[in-house]
Amino acid sequence: MLARTHRLRTALATFATTALVLASCQGAEPQELLVLEWAGYEAEDFWTDFQTANPEVPVDFEFGSTDADILSLMQAGSQADVFHFYTGWQQFYVDEGLVREIDTSKLTNWDAVPADMQALGQIDGKQYFIPWDWGFSSILYNTEQLPDGVSSWDVLFNEEYAEHIAMWDDGPAAVTVSAYINGWDETAITDEQLAQIEEDWIAQKPLNLHYWDSEYENLCPEVISGDIWVAYAWPGCYATALYEGVPVAYANPEEGRNSWVGLYGINADTDSYELALEFLDLKLAELTCGNAVSLFYYGCANGDVMAAVADPVLIEAFGLNDPSILEATNFTPPVTAEQRDAWTAMWTRVKAE
Amino acid sequence: MLGRRGALRFLALPPYAWLGLFFVLPLILIIAISFRPETGPINFDDPWAPSLVQYQRVWETASYLRLLGISVLMALVVAGTATLLAYPIAYFLAFRARDRAVFYLVLLLIPFAASYLLKIMAWRLMLGQEGAINSFLQFIGLTAEPLDLLLYSRAAVIIALVYVWIPFAALPVYAAMQRIDRGHQEAAADLGAGPWSRFWRITVPLSLPGALAAFFMVFIPTVGEYVTPSLVGGTEGFMYGNLIQDFFTSAANWAQGSALSVIMLVVTLVLVVVALRVVNVRRLTT
Amino acid sequence: MTGAARTRSAVGVGRTRVPLRATYLGMLLLLYFPIALLFLFSVSQNSSLSFPIQGFTLDWYREVFEDASLLEAARNSLVVGFAAATLATLIGFAVSVAVIRFRFRGRAGLVGLAGLPLIVPFIVLGVSLFLLFIFVDIPRSLATIAIGHSVVAVPFATLILLARMVGLDPNLEDAAMDLGATYRTTLRRVVVPLMGPSILSAWLTCFIVSFDEVAIALFLAGGDPTFPIFLYGQLRFAQRLPVLIAMAVLLMIGTVTLTLIAFRLARRRT
Repeated sequence: MLARTHRLRTALATFATTALVLASCQGAEPQELLVLEWAGYEAEDFWTDFQTANPEVPVDFEFGSTDADILSLMQAGSQADVFHFYTGWQQFYVDEGLVREIDTSKLTNWDAVPADMQALGQIDGKQYFIPWDWGFSSILYNTEQLPDGVSSWDVLFNEEYAEHIAMWDDGPAAVTVSAYINGWDETAITDEQLAQIEEDWIAQKPLNLHYWDSEYENLCPEVISGDIWVAYAWPGCYATALYEGVPVAYANPEEGRNSWVGLYGINADTDSYELALEFLDLKLAELTCGNAVSLFYYGCANGDVMAAVADPVLIEAFGLNDPSILEATNFTPPVTAEQRDAWTAMWTRVKAE
Repeated sequence: MLGRRGALRFLALPPYAWLGLFFVLPLILIIAISFRPETGPINFDDPWAPSLVQYQRVWETASYLRLLGISVLMALVVAGTATLLAYPIAYFLAFRARDRAVFYLVLLLIPFAASYLLKIMAWRLMLGQEGAINSFLQFIGLTAEPLDLLLYSRAAVIIALVYVWIPFAALPVYAAMQRIDRGHQEAAADLGAGPWSRFWRITVPLSLPGALAAFFMVFIPTVGEYVTPSLVGGTEGFMYGNLIQDFFTSAANWAQGSALSVIMLVVTLVLVVVALRVVNVRRLTT
Repeated sequence: MTGAARTRSAVGVGRTRVPLRATYLGMLLLLYFPIALLFLFSVSQNSSLSFPIQGFTLDWYREVFEDASLLEAARNSLVVGFAAATLATLIGFAVSVAVIRFRFRGRAGLVGLAGLPLIVPFIVLGVSLFLLFIFVDIPRSLATIAIGHSVVAVPFATLILLARMVGLDPNLEDAAMDLGATYRTTLRRVVVPLMGPSILSAWLTCFIVSFDEVAIALFLAGGDPTFPIFLYGQLRFAQRLPVLIAMAVLLMIGTVTLTLIAFRLARRRT
């Protein structure tokens, strides 16, 4: 009995040590990828070419919900090999040394990317990021509940739809929307303007069913079930709701939609540079890129794929047939560090109120 | 004797080392960081001078302090309710379930063992507009339309948390009740005390340590709770823990988050000390 | 004789007034309702959690074993739980022996330190360790989660082992030392076996605490998720929920079994 318990304890101690050693050895193999992504983008449709080419390489995903979140995760030492974020935030990654330069000569699909898109991923002449997805932010609304349509971003503040509104849980987006509504310059928000913005969004808070931070978790299901009538949204949920037969529309507010381009970077500390490069290259491939377009109504950086879009629903969603939409579109300007900190802090105060 | 002294060092050093390194040191670090002036994430190589600016910012933001107060109140409600609801369970297990005690205990353990996240998700389902509770209320005619206020509210957070904590709260109370000498109750009965009188004057006071333990065991984690509010709280159920979470994630400002954490620690500590004093005083005067 | 018997069975509230067993079972029913709901969806053919139920199937349970990332997350949780429980139990054991058997100046301090993690909310423990690991440049991983969990679990282990240690007869250790054993040997061959069931009980308690823990784990995780972290990331997929619930049910059965073992062991007196 004594000896048995003693052996048991020794076995346990050995187990624990082994477990700790094993645990800290995790992720030491280079033949796998960790991608810091946004919700929904881990779908295999979005890296299908890579999977076909490398079926034995496991690809795991870590998630962030806003650009501030992704940056914060990277700054806190995320071990992701590849990360995904949106225009306006490029400078931070370069300044903090978080990103590794990309050797575009190794990308087979690079030439299909239009020059102006390629330029978005360049800082000081060096290619740090690959553009991949692009699209709009606008108001997604239920046409049965809002038969007159939506003409302005301020519908998010309309008390008529109290508890059926859903704003994205992101400070910079809130500032952007307020800037559009008030006609202010996004790049030059003063302290008084920011204080006003804070007040406005505090008043708006009770009108929300809730804020959403993950499209397919707490936005889309409730758009589909009809609990959410008006939402700050991206085309992905619009496409999904349409497929489900929900009467929704994607607004063209008079202030103009917001437009963004998604960029991928490679972590400066990655062990899997070649694999990451291949991953990004194959993301730009025809099938993978095409899936972003057809499944989620996102634009894709592969120019050939965009030129081949023929589906009228898609053409309408992208506004490809209406040049005035693109003209009215507000492209996201770069964000400074002070703005980032001030706007995220403002939003946190709104939530705490 | 030398062997024994050596053994003491062998025994006492590892706990001091481990807890010192991974418990005390991080707390010292977070206190230190709360005095840094930087906004945003911190580069520890940067030079810095101690400053009270983070605490100043918290002091100036009424909503933060109010949120702390609200979170403390919510935690009090959750802890109190869970402990109260755990009482009949513990009582039954301790006094009425003699032979089948293990069986009833196992019955209690199953909810205890189910995944916390999934229990909250189940509540999200039940409280939602299409959910079980709303359907039931409409079915029995109490309400004509689904109640909006159930999900995405402070109430939802409280309900879900009470539910999660009841099995945990029952255990210390049960343990305390088990230690009560039946002789006291028998003596009281012999002296003519009725069942309620015995309960209030013997069982409750003697099981109070267990109830207090249960109360604090629930109260302290709940003050800093952030996962449940993020799932079922909506905009109204935002808690102080979410504030800290934000400052370490999307609104990255580690120094500010540290200051907020230190404030919560101090408040929690003060509350615990005060509560223990109150309890001791009462013990002394009965 | 009749008076005594009546008194004995009238001990406690409610033989006549409060239907205590009914209350207990009623409360259990309420406690079980959400769980029953979850279990229902794990065997329903619906791909999402909604009524009406279209039929029953065990397919989700089968799918659990075909889902590599799900199994890996569960395995990670096992590894972390193992490590955390072992560390916490070792520390709890050391503390309880030191405090009960020795007199030294830092005695109260040691017990206090071992119990202190109880009064720190999880999020503060999580972010403070998060900051520590960044400060000393240790990348986050399953090991860092295990460290965090071990700190949380130490009070539980200490509590259980302290309670047992108090009841341990010191004469047995004195006898062993009189026969020439060093204290370390005495510990190994007398104290540990005597406390065996409690040690295992403490270990299992710590394991269970670690297994379901998510608030701290979210801050300390690296590239490999534990099961709760994995779950948290998968919650957005309505169609994934049935498989996840099936896995959780399996884990719950495992946990209950472990708890029963712990309970049985804790009650056994050598």
